[in-house]
Amino acid sequence: MNREHLRSLFTAKSARVDTNKGEAYYKNLYERCRARLDELKKITPLRNIDIAQVLEDEGISRRDFLKWASATTAMLMLPASFTPLVAEAAELMNRVPVIWIELQDCAGNSEAFIRADGPKVDEIILEIISLEFHETLMAPAGHQAEAQLEDAVNNFKGKYLLFVEGAIPVGRGREWCTIGASGETFEEHLKKLANDAAAIVAVGTCATFGGVPAAAPNPTGAVGVMDVVNNKPIINIPACPANPANIVGVILHYVLTGQIPELDSLLRPKFAFGYRIHDNCERRAHFDAGEFVEEWGDEGAQNNFCLYKMGCKGPMTFNNCSIVRYNESVNWPIGAGHGCIGCSEPGFWDKYAYERPMADANIKMAPNGGVEKSVDQFGLGLLTAAGVGIAIHAVASAVAGKKSEGEEA
Amino acid sequence: MKIELIEKIEGEAFLDVSCRQGKVRDAYVRFPHYRGIEKILVGRDPLDALVINPRVCGICGHAHLQATVRTLEKLAGFEPNEKVKKIREITRFCEMVQNHIKWFYLVVFDRLGLTYDFRTVHVMIQKINMLAAIFSGQWPHSSYALPGGVTCDPSQLEILQAKRLVQSVREHFVLLVGAFDIKNLSKDLKRLYDRLEERDLLYTGKSLDRFITFGSDSYVQSSKILHGKVRPAKLHNIREFGQEKSHAKGVTYKGKFYETGPLARTMLRGDLFVKQLHRRYKDSITTRIFARIYEVGTLLKKIDEHLRTIDISEPSYTPLEIPDGETMSAIEAARGSLIHKVCIEKGKIAEYVIITPTQWNLSNAKNGESSIIKKALIGAQCEATDIIFRSFDICSVCTTH
Repeated sequence: MNREHLRSLFTAKSARVDTNKGEAYYKNLYERCRARLDELKKITPLRNIDIAQVLEDEGISRRDFLKWASATTAMLMLPASFTPLVAEAAELMNRVPVIWIELQDCAGNSEAFIRADGPKVDEIILEIISLEFHETLMAPAGHQAEAQLEDAVNNFKGKYLLFVEGAIPVGRGREWCTIGASGETFEEHLKKLANDAAAIVAVGTCATFGGVPAAAPNPTGAVGVMDVVNNKPIINIPACPANPANIVGVILHYVLTGQIPELDSLLRPKFAFGYRIHDNCERRAHFDAGEFVEEWGDEGAQNNFCLYKMGCKGPMTFNNCSIVRYNESVNWPIGAGHGCIGCSEPGFWDKYAYERPMADANIKMAPNGGVEKSVDQFGLGLLTAAGVGIAIHAVASAVAGKKSEGEEA
Repeated sequence: MKIELIEKIEGEAFLDVSCRQGKVRDAYVRFPHYRGIEKILVGRDPLDALVINPRVCGICGHAHLQATVRTLEKLAGFEPNEKVKKIREITRFCEMVQNHIKWFYLVVFDRLGLTYDFRTVHVMIQKINMLAAIFSGQWPHSSYALPGGVTCDPSQLEILQAKRLVQSVREHFVLLVGAFDIKNLSKDLKRLYDRLEERDLLYTGKSLDRFITFGSDSYVQSSKILHGKVRPAKLHNIREFGQEKSHAKGVTYKGKFYETGPLARTMLRGDLFVKQLHRRYKDSITTRIFARIYEVGTLLKKIDEHLRTIDISEPSYTPLEIPDGETMSAIEAARGSLIHKVCIEKGKIAEYVIITPTQWNLSNAKNGESSIIKKALIGAQCEATDIIFRSFDICSVCTTH
């Protein structure tokens, strides 16, 4: 799928997040979800695990579980009345088969997702999803694993969610990267598995936009899943690594509604990528107050001031890290005093690399506009309603003229 | 008879083995994937490497970040203060610990058909990653370290939180594996030993008995063991060479192959438990596997020590200019010594070379010199190839980068 074409399909308006779609809409959705869950309940579970029992064994009370369900309902941007449905959907996660493949990757998403952690309930739920095949995690290796993959595809034709981690080399690297004994190229492998999938979830920046392998000069000709597959619904969950909570969100949404979540022009679920890091950043108040870190280790750094001047890409990066955070929500990059590096934005390796003087860098706006702008144009148009922070920004006076021309204001 | 073993590890690796009468006669390792990260780095600002290099590997990204930082600092002739060193070591040791635990249970126990307490293992991994994230923001793939220091500036509150986590992981660890007492093994260590004995694997996988470590920190000092003698190891003696049908390069030290990783580190440190095992089983899979899990305990103790002695009033960062020039430095990663080499001209990267631990352990033989993996496999029972191969804790994504 051509990205420019995609982008043009979506107007700025459609890229906005609509958190209240009206009573009639939610009533209708509720009924559809209800019917979907009743339908799923009739299917024999793929893995015979009772989540209520698992949670109890783990010492998680029903009350904790419902708390998690209500937080997840909010994350999915659904009204609170959907909470019982979300809880039910979580219990039915073992009805949806998942196949996970790794292509040109570093295994970082798998590490973040399955072998590492996520919020407690999320992680237990992930244990019970029906992961039919995962290359790194599967006990059998080599030929055995290949046979198992084939079985999984045949058994769940048209029903499985295909998770893809890693980019696909379609240039010079096409023949350099092959899979297993068959010697298939990554592209052939992906297309074959995509044909029988219900939908494809591209996990991490490599699978969505090509990521690190696609950084200039892109030695292998790496691209994302959406550049290769054009006959299936695709959901992109960028970031390096992708946040496990968003992965759970997507699966849960699929279980609940039987559909993929609402996406933006870059096929990212709006519930996770509808806002910028900056919008909900814990250091936002310092930005508005004009309090910045001016140099690593200075007084501002010791006082957790805003990292914008140190090259933080939070204002241009659409993701929910500032709310969901990482590793049991213990911290996130900005919490450790380093600005956001924009790892979930397309082409960030070439455009966002963090030491570049921000005022000069041309950054593609995403998703609501295809025009490249420098950060300060960006800032003046979009960053802040109050404009206080920007007013004392060092270069504000230099670019003040641009404000009047700014079409975004 | 020829066997082709395809290992789905982090990425994919092929092991071509030819067998006669049930014994391995010859072996060749191939890596079929490639991303070209060294090429991507050329022409970029040196600081770009801080963002790109951690992405070489999703499991030891921290080590790649710190190797990059140390190489650039070395170029500037800069040595960080104690606080910075300790914070960096804490997070890197956390990464090593979580890697070893995952490998021990998810790979070794799984392959040997042993069951384990999945929940406790999971909790340990989770907590150790949380500990790293307190300082690094997230795990995997963090960017909190940069030439001149670290961006985090922990308060006593964070130190306390970290101390509690390391305490809890240490408690879980002891409950799982028991004490490292060779005459009195218990719990999971005993179960592992018994299983190896039962399958007649105790003495299998012996290799060249040469060890090398290039990283120097509070845990281990750069040195090598050849013919039982400890000597300093010098980075300029390292040579890489291309290998047929594989995207991984081989690597030698003065034309010879050496083993790197936990076994090398513990041998060079002279840890009694590993020395005792080595006396009996030499560098077989037994010593190799036990050395790696033994390291978890030592590293956790180091983390705890650092948390107790860190002086948080020291600055987190010292401003630093990165000059043009060429240099090379090493850091200890979970799987062994990770070497980064950079050449900067007119403020841009002219060349960047990454040599990973798995390259040392999985080089194919060259010029009549037998390599670590080849020596370990030849003569072994064909059925044992898988566990011998796995005992090196291979990472394919790192190796081919």
